Amino acid sequence: MTELFIRLIRRPQGLVGVALLALIAVTCLFGPALAPYAPEKIDFLGRFRSPGWHNWLGADEFGRDILSRLMVGARSTVPMALIATLAGSAVGAIVGVGSAYLGGRIDEAIMRTNDAVMAIPGLLMALLLVSTLGNGAGNAVIAIAIAFAPGMARVTRSVALNIRNQDYVKAAIARGEGATWIIFREMLPNVMAPIVIESTIRVSFAVMLFATLSFLGVGAQPPASEWGLMVADARQYMYQAPWGLIAPSAAIALTAIAFNLLGDGLRDALNPRDER
Amino acid sequence: MTPALAIKNYTLDYATAAGPVHVLHDISLQIEPGEVLGLVGESGSGKSSLAWALMRHLPDNAREIAGSLHLGDTDLQRLSPRELTKVRGRRLGMVFQDPSTALNPTLTVGRQVTETLVQHRGLGQREANALAIDLLGHVELRDPAAIMLRYPHEISGGEKQRVIIAAAFGCRPDVILFDEPTTALDVITGARILELFARLREETGVAALYISHDLALVTRVADRVAVLKHGRLVEQAPAADIFRAPRHADTQALVQAVPRPERRLIHDRPSDEVLLAASDIEVHYGRASLFGHAAPPATRRIGLDVRVGEILGLVGESGSGKSSVARALTGLARFSGKVRFDNREITGARDMNAAYRRDVQIIFQHPDSSLNPRQRISEILSRPLKLYGGNTAEIPRLLEQVRLPASFAGRWPHQLSGGQKQRVAIARAFAARPKLVICDEITAPLDVSVQAQIIELLLALRAATSTAFLFITHDLNLIRQIAHRIAVMRGGEMVDLLPIEDFDADHVHPYTRELMAASPVPVG
Repeated sequence: MTELFIRLIRRPQGLVGVALLALIAVTCLFGPALAPYAPEKIDFLGRFRSPGWHNWLGADEFGRDILSRLMVGARSTVPMALIATLAGSAVGAIVGVGSAYLGGRIDEAIMRTNDAVMAIPGLLMALLLVSTLGNGAGNAVIAIAIAFAPGMARVTRSVALNIRNQDYVKAAIARGEGATWIIFREMLPNVMAPIVIESTIRVSFAVMLFATLSFLGVGAQPPASEWGLMVADARQYMYQAPWGLIAPSAAIALTAIAFNLLGDGLRDALNPRDER
Repeated sequence: MTPALAIKNYTLDYATAAGPVHVLHDISLQIEPGEVLGLVGESGSGKSSLAWALMRHLPDNAREIAGSLHLGDTDLQRLSPRELTKVRGRRLGMVFQDPSTALNPTLTVGRQVTETLVQHRGLGQREANALAIDLLGHVELRDPAAIMLRYPHEISGGEKQRVIIAAAFGCRPDVILFDEPTTALDVITGARILELFARLREETGVAALYISHDLALVTRVADRVAVLKHGRLVEQAPAADIFRAPRHADTQALVQAVPRPERRLIHDRPSDEVLLAASDIEVHYGRASLFGHAAPPATRRIGLDVRVGEILGLVGESGSGKSSVARALTGLARFSGKVRFDNREITGARDMNAAYRRDVQIIFQHPDSSLNPRQRISEILSRPLKLYGGNTAEIPRLLEQVRLPASFAGRWPHQLSGGQKQRVAIARAFAARPKLVICDEITAPLDVSVQAQIIELLLALRAATSTAFLFITHDLNLIRQIAHRIAVMRGGEMVDLLPIEDFDADHVHPYTRELMAASPVPVG
């Protein structure tokens, strides 16, 4: 594990990705303690104050400090995206490996259903689900997880099909192992590398999707300082106070980039053939 | 006279994260014009690295420490990339190990042959076409004009290797490097390729470096043989002498390890009691779909029986269906027909209960893929013990049984060599205390010397447990050393099933005789 980490940070993408993620993690954990102001503190004299000494990233229409709101809002954005991705990846991976192992008509049935779900765009799917489940951050997480699972199942299945033909899986079948053991202990550990890479890249999509849902008003609800919601609120005052829009957008972009870089770094670090 | 190819004091390292790895150490070799030098060594001895160094296609982490490489008067190490393209293929040809990956699958065969001719001999397209047809005819391909229009997947492995040889010879190079050109082919095809090579060599007088791990084979094609061990040259001698009078201990070990049919390794007779009887076995792959018929069965009504404690050999070229039989008997492939084992009748994978699964174990060809890379050796060995009832405290005993230290239990498969991995796979099979072990080409990917050790181990295990073996192989010399009876398969049919004593008799099937003729029996 430590060896993997060293290999990861030896590459520029990996190093930048890990550094950015460390920063985000610190914000998630200690955001409220580190923030200069309380996120809900209203200051009528400081409405739309431009970035400067008083408010580093400026203030919004109620005079709330944007930096503080961002730091506190990290908690309600990044972990949600992570949970959604983890749940989606886990479901997708198990479906994909199971489908590859079972093969034949069952595989065909699972994958065609999967294709049908995949044909619906992710955002539309998430909107559909939220509209049936009801508004709220928790439901948005479930919606994103379900929207992600089919893509993950496809990626996993293609890798698992190769693993299925490996002799150690055949050996397990020949000695009479059960399907659960073969799927979870023989096959799944060997498809982990591509799953990990794919899901780190997908976290960035989840951050954006979650922000989009909040922006559209079906995710986190005001007065939460979720980043997408902050963008939605600041939109009306775009010409008066563009910083209200730029700061949360930049935070979303930075998080997405950080996870993308980590994914790229992991892809290289997990490839043992690249021993240079 | 300048030699065609001269390697002087050549030393090569690979720089890795764990420090430099010495691949070749102080190698000096010369090939005179028209001479064939055989280079023999185990895997990892650096023989392929030498070929790539000559082709100037080394990986980025290669460090050439000392020495020189000369092709005629040309210093290969000093060539610029542009000059190199005029030497590669034109003056220095190469024939690779695996013909299936050496041709581009998206271009026709003709295109790939004529391209090298246009590139290196400056011919026009029409002349190149005519010459290519001529060349393909010369390597004994039937209907060369038709072959030219085909794609690589439409011709067989042997035909592909012929195409590559035709292209290599077509540019009239000074030297051709052969990197195990017959290893990926079956015995008979390989033997025909060697005949072709001998004929072309006589006609063109080309010099060649012939790389192989098979000492017996090299002595048949080469004038002189050089033996490489751990990157060092241990012996160089004329081909006729090296087998009869090897001087160096490593060469002697290599000669010793070559299987010879007349040196039998088992002397007992098995009982007449039948352990497993299979009849009318037809193995099916794929199902009939809505729009097409199912593929024809891979085997046609095969019947064979294995007796208690017997070693039954199953021989045939690739595609003859011998592995399909193994898959059917272990429930890995769908089959029709009957298998009788321990007075139980089995007609499909569903009938195979835990007792059958325990009693019939299989060992696969590639130890790299038969051990799960994400499980430690202890976990791999503990599975059969847990499944069939046994104590995991037995693991050290299992490892000891296959002559591996007990400390290996904590290792990962990738930390083991190929031979050690195969030992672990053998230990896993024997952990179930089976009555029958199916060995599917288990020594094919291993070096000759490692193969000899594995065979010795299997025979020792058999002596201790009186297990029966179904030993699938393409190496007739090897199986004639150890089997009680041998079955010969071709094209999904069983053509012969003979006791070993009858093998030299007159009534063997013509195909069996052909197989025997194609198996390189060592000279001397």
